Amino acid sequence: MSASVLDMKAAFPKAIEKIGKLSDKVVVVVGDIGHFALQGFAKDNPNRYYNLGILEPTLVSVCAGLSKEGYIPIGHTIAPFIAERSLEQIKLDFCYHSLAGNLITVGSSFDYATLGCTHHCYTDLGLLSSYPNTEVCYPSSARELVALLIQKYDSSRLTYYRMSRASHGVNLPDIKFGTNIVVRPGTDITLLASGPQLKTALDISTLLDDKGYTAEILYCHTYKPFDTNTLQESVSKTGKLFVIEEHIYNGGLASTALLSAVMVDHNLKFDYHCIPDTFIRKYGTYPEICEGLGFSAAALYPKVINLLQ
Amino acid sequence: MSPLNSDLRLRIVDLVCSGGGGHIPSSFSVIDILDCVYSKYIRPHDFDHQQESKYTFTLSKGHAACALYSVLHKYGYLTSADLETYLQYSSILGGHPDCTKVPGAEASTGSLGHGLPFTVGRALAAKIAGSDKVFFVLVGDGECHEGTIWESAIVANNLNLRNLVVLVDYNKSSDQICPHNSLYEQFASFGWYCLKADGHDPDQINAAMQNAVESDTSKPRVIVFDTIKGYGVPMLEGHGPWHYKIPNIEELSIIREALSS
Repeated sequence: MSASVLDMKAAFPKAIEKIGKLSDKVVVVVGDIGHFALQGFAKDNPNRYYNLGILEPTLVSVCAGLSKEGYIPIGHTIAPFIAERSLEQIKLDFCYHSLAGNLITVGSSFDYATLGCTHHCYTDLGLLSSYPNTEVCYPSSARELVALLIQKYDSSRLTYYRMSRASHGVNLPDIKFGTNIVVRPGTDITLLASGPQLKTALDISTLLDDKGYTAEILYCHTYKPFDTNTLQESVSKTGKLFVIEEHIYNGGLASTALLSAVMVDHNLKFDYHCIPDTFIRKYGTYPEICEGLGFSAAALYPKVINLLQ
Repeated sequence: MSPLNSDLRLRIVDLVCSGGGGHIPSSFSVIDILDCVYSKYIRPHDFDHQQESKYTFTLSKGHAACALYSVLHKYGYLTSADLETYLQYSSILGGHPDCTKVPGAEASTGSLGHGLPFTVGRALAAKIAGSDKVFFVLVGDGECHEGTIWESAIVANNLNLRNLVVLVDYNKSSDQICPHNSLYEQFASFGWYCLKADGHDPDQINAAMQNAVESDTSKPRVIVFDTIKGYGVPMLEGHGPWHYKIPNIEELSIIREALSS
């Protein structure tokens, strides 16, 4: 296990403990996931920590009910059981009621590589973005997780956090909710990445350097509201956009970015690499599935070069 | 002898006829329970509609919206002018209640199985706050097919939510589809404090409600009300085409006759 994975796992309970000290209205509700990791918060706040059981739709509804009474709920369990199984509870009990709260998931994308489709979730960011009164973010480093949680835990909307298992390993400055980060300036093409795939984008840019192209790399940790300004400024300069994300191709970053970028450049050259419209039936490790799906600089370099030529 | 609350039942029928839609039999089966909840608990503790009431009521079976609107009108939350707009484009009153628009509505319901777990969260919040608030939530027996009802039953029992009172409108909708062996026994087996009452007898309703509210048990409470769909008008009673039907002029006359005789 890499140090970055350990960092993310360790950062989550520490961030929750910190938030618990910021507001006595925070109530943490888990579905038997993260229960042991969160014992620090639970011991400090025995009246504000509940391991409800394995009943995710009710977990989401209970969080909405807590919010209705003025508390700040933080619901936590595995991504598919929140974003997919409990989608109607999100839609009706939170969004339709205009209630605020936080849902923090682990195990999105194919993070639980060996567990198969039941424990994969490639649709969460698009599904959550599709309802009114939501905010959607995707922290992929310990610093981002802590920064985004502290900035948004007391938001007036439902905030969904897809907490990735792997980190991109980049020490990003100035993490501000709703703002893309220019990781590296460039002029020839815009590489827009989210999650651990920032590392892939950086690897591609190194290959492009060798060919004399400079890629501008944008990193997106907030899917909704999406920062159109940074992207539009970049594509106005480069005229070319390549998006990399661990999400199904529709409803995620690629489609949002395309709609945003094409507004300022109708001749935009565009391509993307997302999870294809099929179930992942392979096992193995997370890096092996990345490799199998083509999430690597070597696999994506020809597609990027094709945009540049 | 005219049935209990014939005025409220006529109001329900008027709403459905004027708006062109609604569930008359489902509203008739709950109306006597709702009138008791509002007359004995909600309204006396909620004088100006501004301050938080000690008691709240959530209609989880949102398709009985016309019953809720009729009671909210009777107790001063809605005006006659509000009722006249039912189902119109700019109305605050839709086929299912929207609590962001309807004064006195505690949740936006319609899709079954949401009101109870939502109210479990509210009851938990009150417990955390050390408040004396009591939460009534009405579910249908058909709604009790939903898995979230039983997820909620587990959670409410485990958390000892003594401030939660579930009112089951057992109007036998489930019997025609997938009968429950015994809702009373099912809730009892989940550890709840269980009561039964005739949902059209005001004395039994009041006694069961008082028992549920005043009992010393640490457990969540449920009252399984034996009710009749369409109660009060023989033509509407039971199951069949009247579930979501608008009466024509002749049928309306029969309904009025039954409710005034």
